[in-house]
Amino acid sequence: MNPFLLWLESTALSTWVRESPSVFAFPAILSCHTVGMGLAAGINASLAIRILGAAPAIPIHEMKRFFPVMWFGFWLNAISGVVLLIAYPTKALTNPLFYLKLILVAIAVALVMPIERRVFGEPGRDHDPALGQVKKLAIASLVCWAGVIVSGRLLAYTYTRLLQGF
Amino acid sequence: MAMFQVWLVSTLLSAKPIGRLMHTRWGWPAAESIHFLGLSLLVGTILLFDLRLLGLGRRIPIAALHKLIPWGLGGYAANLVSGSFFLMAEPDQYIYNPAFHFKMLFMAVAGFNALSFYLVAARRTMGPGAAEDVPRAAKIIAATSLLMWVAVIVCGRLLTFYRPGVCGPEGPGFLAYCIPRIRR
Repeated sequence: MNPFLLWLESTALSTWVRESPSVFAFPAILSCHTVGMGLAAGINASLAIRILGAAPAIPIHEMKRFFPVMWFGFWLNAISGVVLLIAYPTKALTNPLFYLKLILVAIAVALVMPIERRVFGEPGRDHDPALGQVKKLAIASLVCWAGVIVSGRLLAYTYTRLLQGF
Repeated sequence: MAMFQVWLVSTLLSAKPIGRLMHTRWGWPAAESIHFLGLSLLVGTILLFDLRLLGLGRRIPIAALHKLIPWGLGGYAANLVSGSFFLMAEPDQYIYNPAFHFKMLFMAVAGFNALSFYLVAARRTMGPGAAEDVPRAAKIIAATSLLMWVAVIVCGRLLTFYRPGVCGPEGPGFLAYCIPRIRR
């Protein structure tokens, strides 16, 4: 028994998310987490496949206009993810896959910055030979986001403990 | 309607190999993973296109951005296949599920909405000499598309919470799958 997790699971927020029959509790938070996933992973994937050569007529540096929406999705998921974690801390923290997901999220976010610096820097770099190096980053980004989605999805099937004492 | 649902469930159940595949240890989780990857690809590309029609990233030619749509359609195809696998493996969990009915409704609206874009607005927004700003009709189509796809995702997520119960005296008796069991 972990006293901190036991306390966390007994808090009002944790209990409400877990046990409330309201559609605005667990179902709504899970829905937010999925919409945010579509925005964050989807917009990053669109940028990556453009960097890799799809839709070459898109001026890449202009795609930065869509990035506030990507970050909105990211923060929506950071917040909804923390709430889901508060609801079921034991379930997540005793699953090694959860840590893999967090590591992949960290790498995916860390990759955004060098990619942004190279392609959003200045206009007219679309045909820059240096773009070749960004392609490797784009592939890494695609792999990480796909890994985040798959490991997140598998959390529902690989947990060994649900709550403290269960 | 009830008879149609009974027929639908029994027809879907006849795809036995798919059901067996889905009920293996990793069948369901693998199909779900594909479903979520496809969702991200679909939303990522369609959303950018809708946002552009609504005025974000005006310097990007709409026709250029449209070249990303086939990738979204690829995600859509992956989801159509994985989604029909869920349906064939556990039909009564969907056919009698109000969240599924609404998901299908919103998908149909999204589909007709996309069709209307190609019929009404594609030439004016992507044809030669198209302006940076788009006609109001195209903006309404884009906003509808955004709203519908978010609604499809939310309904998909709500499926779990509106599943019909298990077979048995206290379970719903209207399930095609249940009726023969209860009679027996």
